[in-house]
Amino acid sequence: MIKKWLIEMGSPPLFYKWSTKTLPWLFISAILILGIGLSWGLLFAPTDYKQGDVYRILYIHVPSAILGQSIFMFMAFCGFINVIWRAKISGMMLKSAAPIGVSFTLLALVTGSIWGKPTWGTWWVWDARLTSTLILFFIYAALIGLHSTIEDKTKADRAVSILSIVGLAIIPVIKKSVDWWQTLHQPSTFTITSSPSMSPDMYQPLLLCLVGFYLFFALLLTLNLRNEILERERTRNWVKQLLGVSS
Amino acid sequence: MHSSIFDSLSIILKRDLMIAFRRSSTYITPLIFFLIVVTFFPLALGPQESLLSSLAPGVIWIAALLASLLAVETIFSEDFRDGTLDDFFISLEPSFILVFAKVTIHWLITGLPILAASSIAAIILYLPLDSFIPMLLSLLLGTSFMSLLGALGAALALGKSAILSAIIVLPFSVPTLLMGTSVITSSLNNQDFSGFLMIMGAMLALGIPGLCLLTVEALLLNYE
Amino acid sequence: MLPNLKVENLSCVRSDKSIFDDVSFDVLPGHNIEIIGSNGSGKTTLLRTLLGLITQDRGEIVWLDDAGKYHNYRTFECLYQGHQLGIKNLLTVFENLNITKHAKGMSQEDIYKHLERVGLSNVNELASNISVGQRKRIAMAKWLLKEFKIYFIDEPFSALDDTATLLIEKLIKELNVKGCSFVITGHRPSGIEATRVEI
Repeated sequence: MIKKWLIEMGSPPLFYKWSTKTLPWLFISAILILGIGLSWGLLFAPTDYKQGDVYRILYIHVPSAILGQSIFMFMAFCGFINVIWRAKISGMMLKSAAPIGVSFTLLALVTGSIWGKPTWGTWWVWDARLTSTLILFFIYAALIGLHSTIEDKTKADRAVSILSIVGLAIIPVIKKSVDWWQTLHQPSTFTITSSPSMSPDMYQPLLLCLVGFYLFFALLLTLNLRNEILERERTRNWVKQLLGVSS
Repeated sequence: MHSSIFDSLSIILKRDLMIAFRRSSTYITPLIFFLIVVTFFPLALGPQESLLSSLAPGVIWIAALLASLLAVETIFSEDFRDGTLDDFFISLEPSFILVFAKVTIHWLITGLPILAASSIAAIILYLPLDSFIPMLLSLLLGTSFMSLLGALGAALALGKSAILSAIIVLPFSVPTLLMGTSVITSSLNNQDFSGFLMIMGAMLALGIPGLCLLTVEALLLNYE
Repeated sequence: MLPNLKVENLSCVRSDKSIFDDVSFDVLPGHNIEIIGSNGSGKTTLLRTLLGLITQDRGEIVWLDDAGKYHNYRTFECLYQGHQLGIKNLLTVFENLNITKHAKGMSQEDIYKHLERVGLSNVNELASNISVGQRKRIAMAKWLLKEFKIYFIDEPFSALDDTATLLIEKLIKELNVKGCSFVITGHRPSGIEATRVEI
């Protein structure tokens, strides 16, 4: 029953046709909300009394860090479906989401580092959050690396699905163990992102940015996935018809 | 049925141990690698006793981690090449139990020698004698988990480069590294370390069924 | 007599290419199936699909159990020999037979007898030192360890000299009489009595 539904909904041609309709809406809403959120945060939100304008990088850092993790969850979810029901589209989704996820994670690391220079005085601090983000980045790298070594794409999808499931199980353990590791080595640290009270006029644009980032991810994922579908189904008749190639 | 599972397990163990003993490099290479890596630290950092003893937990663990992943690619590659791996999936016994046998063998020929050599490493790095037992316990649990994780990596990268199977699982070994070093460091500081050991034990207990099942899935991919 | 294995309309598609399509046959006790096809026609994939190593895209594979009912999972143990024969290089000829679960409870003499049957006398030689033809003979000796209901053998007749070919034909005939069936593959029809299935 579920399998049947998944196969019908997860059919690449159906998804492709459906996404052609929704793509403009997704595009408009992503650009609009991200634009409002970012300009609100970067230009109009009040200046922090302690950090000055430097703190504004948070409007990029925090959403990209959250996205980096959420995209991994999403990938592991796709991986789970791919391993259990062998739904082809879930494998393609996983593959398409990986480069986006690793980019957001990298963005979080870079912005965190840029933020660290004026606040901590160094480019890198072994802060618990930054450390687990770095390991998340390595896990993404492992997944992408594995995918690229297996020629058969369907097989590669399944292999990466299996590894992403392990990732899903082990990431909470990594986060927890990094926390313990830090308390063992440096008992109290100053964390920037959880400043005790964030005023609503700083918080609201952050929330908007976060929604904007999610929409942006959905947009990128759809575009990536459409490419992936076309590439893999290029020998199929529906793609040939779509592209006007005579078969 | 039960006796038949144990028969299959003991046959695999017997066969593979016999083969391992006929080719001594399988168990000597990780051992030597471990000792060389450990020796390089004092050579690179200088022989001060206080420095080395405070770095010892980390050094021993990094060396053990790398050494146990060194031979990981061989877990399935030879069986896949000569066709004996097919039997895992043709027999009526659950395949993950047979995968567990292969993991056990990998641990016996890498983890166990490392465990034995870790005492030598601890002596040359001036680790206090009181920390020997915690070190051995953490290595016992940790290298077992690494064998499980390594088996998955080997299954996923079967027939690909040997280093790939190690690299794709290295990021997943972070908790093991952190918990393992924490056990030894805590014992150096006279703190309670049983909590870390319990978590390592829990990871192992969940990892045995979970990782073995995923390894079966990964192995089957190679038949398509 | 009921067939031990029924294959109905089996199809397998990989990366948009049909590997085999609409294959059907029954494996009756004591009867053989020979799958004929050229190189790369999916003979090995078909064998692996039958044994459940690969999931089929369409069609049914059902196995008979002792109670006379059919199931879509395998109910009895089979012997499978792929292109790689499952021979360990670092074990001797004797050990390659002795250290398998099918040889359990078998005396040393029994195993020597089987090895002699297939014409192997250098029992204490490491398998890495023997020729391809002799490796094939070790594989044949494994057939004798136990009577399986169905033997799945991938290209048993390739790389064999005439005496070995005759030996295989004889062994298969003997096992057929005992009610065992063979499902084998090949490029062209062999000398054994079998229902040919072309893919």
